[in-house]
Amino acid sequence: MKLPQFEYLEPKSIGKACQVLKEQGGKALAIAGGTDLLMALKNWLKTPEMLVDLKGIPRLNQMIYSNKNGLEIGPLVSLRHLANNTIIRNKYPILSQAASEVGTPQLQSMGTIGGNLCQDNLCVYYNRSPMSRQMFDPCHKLGGNVCHAVKGSKTCWATFCGDMAPALLVLRAKVKIRDSNGESIIPLSEFYSGDGKKPNILKPGEIISEIRVPPLPSYSGGSYFKLRLRKAIDYPLLGVALNLTMENKEGICKDVALALTGVERAPLWIKEVDRLKGKKLVEEIIEELAEAAHKQAHPLNNICELTPAYRKDMVKVYVERAFHQALKVAKRGGQA
Amino acid sequence: MKRNITLNINGEFYELVVKTNQTLLDVLREQLGLVGTKKGCDSGTCGACTVIIDGEPFLSCMTLAIRCKNRIITTIEGLVKNGQLHPLQKSAMEHEAVQCGFCTPGWLLSAKVLLDNNPNPTREEVRTAIAGNLCRCTGYQKIEESILAVAEGKVKGKIN
Repeated sequence: MKLPQFEYLEPKSIGKACQVLKEQGGKALAIAGGTDLLMALKNWLKTPEMLVDLKGIPRLNQMIYSNKNGLEIGPLVSLRHLANNTIIRNKYPILSQAASEVGTPQLQSMGTIGGNLCQDNLCVYYNRSPMSRQMFDPCHKLGGNVCHAVKGSKTCWATFCGDMAPALLVLRAKVKIRDSNGESIIPLSEFYSGDGKKPNILKPGEIISEIRVPPLPSYSGGSYFKLRLRKAIDYPLLGVALNLTMENKEGICKDVALALTGVERAPLWIKEVDRLKGKKLVEEIIEELAEAAHKQAHPLNNICELTPAYRKDMVKVYVERAFHQALKVAKRGGQA
Repeated sequence: MKRNITLNINGEFYELVVKTNQTLLDVLREQLGLVGTKKGCDSGTCGACTVIIDGEPFLSCMTLAIRCKNRIITTIEGLVKNGQLHPLQKSAMEHEAVQCGFCTPGWLLSAKVLLDNNPNPTREEVRTAIAGNLCRCTGYQKIEESILAVAEGKVKGKIN
């Protein structure tokens, strides 16, 4: 497939990268692992005049863990590294689990955690070759003014299908956003816009420069379950991440977080779980939680496989599975 | 928009002029004639274009050639050492793990990365390692067996 032509720049510092991206406005795009971007280029969905390579910038692919501060992950850390790293596997198994579920082993070597968080939303009416796009009027995401997935909609409904975002959300991760003037830290939950056309809040010239995951207390456990047709390659048709912390082995809930992917325009944060705090984790409560997630999930017919009704039904099943798995880990008293 | 780059492929250094928008796959096949690396889907799904970069499996169709400077690239042509096939290649022949042959270079390289990091994989680990290599003849059983046979030392020759 023929790619559009572009200039290629390798800045040696993040400041320089931000500066160039800002000067170019939307005409330049940053490239990390490139797995998401290359496909958009091959389909001519994005036609940047310049690519700004982040690979050569020192320290962006480093990761630091301490019991006091938790985990600081550079945006260029590969998914393969996250999946295989011993510290991550012991301390934050939900992260290694989610990373090992992305795409294929090849895509995990290439793809980065920052890139995965910035993954563009998907829609069958958008992610097509230039020729097969001609079958439809240009949609919102292509700069037109119709939505083929939700007829009559004035906004874009492309679905967020990243695997890492829900796992990091339930760990209450924060992202550091860098621009040419300085940096700010925001909770990952504020990073997503809920607009299918432009899924995150980054403006030209802004880059995720770090992902921070707080340390986990003891009796804490997390899990990520992903629904898809094949055990590899596919994007999540539904992904459920759950992290819970108990007071002690007795099963009194101290903190719990639940997030879904593949069923909305942004990763879906299920707020009802707050009601579980201080309660004993019994079956009825878990059913209630699954019910709340089911109600909020909004899968659409804009991803090829499996019907929206089936994916919505599976929300309950997957929340319960994720819950029991997380509980098992938490009851062992530690993280691994 | 062309650039001069040097690529390290199978231990040889190649001085090349590449376009910024050329994939590694196209450079390997069209400029260097290393056609063992196959172009299947050309969109990051099938794994036929798998190469090893710095010890990890990569899709050459989704990698810009210009980003491969200063990296160590191994293609299927690099598995042969001193005229001797790699044990994985011998095993593939012995186990008749090749049908049409189009996916073969890709999974051989995925398997090499697996064995380089984990010399004694379980069947499940083999399956995970080759999960990114689609075989449309669906001959996965024999592919798995041929990889496991190498891990179990049933095939002569050096792995590395």
